[in-house]
Amino acid sequence: MNKRLLAPVVGILVFLGAWEVLVRAGHVRPFVLRAPSRIVRYLTQHPSGYASAAWVTIQHASIGTLIALLVALLFGSAMAASEFFEHAAQPVLTLLQVTPFVAYIASVVLWIGSGTKPALFIVALVCMPAFTFATVDGMRSADPATRELLASVDAARWEVLWRLRLPSALPSLFTTARYNVGLALIAAYLVEGGNFADEGLGSIGRRAASLNQGDALWSAIFAMALLGTISLVLLSLLQRVAMRWHVSQRRQLR
Amino acid sequence: MSRIVLRDLTKQFGELAVVDPLSLDIEAGQFVSIIGPSGCGKTTLVRVIAGLEPATGGEVEVDGAAPIEARTHKRVAMVPQQPGLLPWRTVRANARLLLDVNRSTNPVDAVAPETLLDEVGLGAFLDVFPHELSGGMQQRVALVRALALHAPLLVMDEPFAALDEITRAEMRVMLNRLVEGKGVTVLFVTHSITEAVALSDRVLVSSPRPTRLIADIAIDLDRPRSAEVEDDPRFVELCAEVRHALHRGMNA
Repeated sequence: MNKRLLAPVVGILVFLGAWEVLVRAGHVRPFVLRAPSRIVRYLTQHPSGYASAAWVTIQHASIGTLIALLVALLFGSAMAASEFFEHAAQPVLTLLQVTPFVAYIASVVLWIGSGTKPALFIVALVCMPAFTFATVDGMRSADPATRELLASVDAARWEVLWRLRLPSALPSLFTTARYNVGLALIAAYLVEGGNFADEGLGSIGRRAASLNQGDALWSAIFAMALLGTISLVLLSLLQRVAMRWHVSQRRQLR
Repeated sequence: MSRIVLRDLTKQFGELAVVDPLSLDIEAGQFVSIIGPSGCGKTTLVRVIAGLEPATGGEVEVDGAAPIEARTHKRVAMVPQQPGLLPWRTVRANARLLLDVNRSTNPVDAVAPETLLDEVGLGAFLDVFPHELSGGMQQRVALVRALALHAPLLVMDEPFAALDEITRAEMRVMLNRLVEGKGVTVLFVTHSITEAVALSDRVLVSSPRPTRLIADIAIDLDRPRSAEVEDDPRFVELCAEVRHALHRGMNA
């Protein structure tokens, strides 16, 4: 096996092994913490239910993230262009970032209805501020020498945006995307637990928790972790293709 | 071809006078260097001529029109001090950058950047990213990017300042070869006496800020010029003349 693949697999196996040993040797009772072997067994016994729920969750998380990204690029471009708009938007975005969104899920569901809509709305809402800040920072980091050069041939604003500012924002956007992967999945999970739609891993988790079905609950958690890992791997691949010119993508000395 | 005329040009940043009333007539097709101590306002002067900065007073004409007009019609090609290459563009794509924006005013007789890249010895590096190139190679791409515009006025702001001495000597020879006989007017800002004399038809020596002309020295060395021009006794004399003028400016 390739070394790059081997290291994370070893990391995960060591973690699961330690967990298993802790549960068995410490005689932790199953309702407190289940051993990973038991969770995996339960998951493999009910594959189709979890697979279809995971498919719903990944759609909520990924489409919501894309909406967040689009809105953030719009807001971020406007903020990078106008100091007034930047100062006006900053406190509102910070407010969105620090408010515990769990607290207003029920209000959003009452407001825009049950099912997919509130899930996409909240995922997009919580991921948008960080993407916006990353867009502004990235655009500001565009090389001044190149900006001057483009000005010297009278490049239009949109040309500077497209040719220089947006690509300059790619590194900070990818860094933020890594952080937003976790946030988007958590938001999707929590909304699915409260949007009366009975779909998604969040819905399984919520039901299992209220009925005290530990195996089902922990299987949902495991499935979430798997989704997160797969998303990060895909994101890394995308980053390697989109940013092969960037310092972070080159072989480095340690 | 591009004739540059300045009439009583002044430039102030607030209270600070950067360019004192300055009048100047640069013939089309001439290679003119401006040399002076750092911070003397050379860059500001050049930015005014390139239409990137408005003059405070006086008049500037580039090819009979206002600099801003020359700029919007892509008649000014700039080579900045830092190459300013885009790291996500290959050498070929970087050389095309100025042709890729504001396309409606592209010249019909633009030279293919690939041909120019080949001419400056980068023919084998077309699909390479800038970080894989040396500083001198990066600056050659920046030079090609400007030449590809086929603009009548080439404005270079200390383009070789960040390079080592050996590379700079190579760049002098290469630049002479690229612009000689092309009829392009070159405005070249530098700190280097050798560079100014080796490249120019005319060297303008500037005082410390605010910019005033201390001397206007014609460089009567034959063209085409090769590396050997720097061994010519006349070259040494002219360098001394520029150096003395610089001293006079510093003590004035």
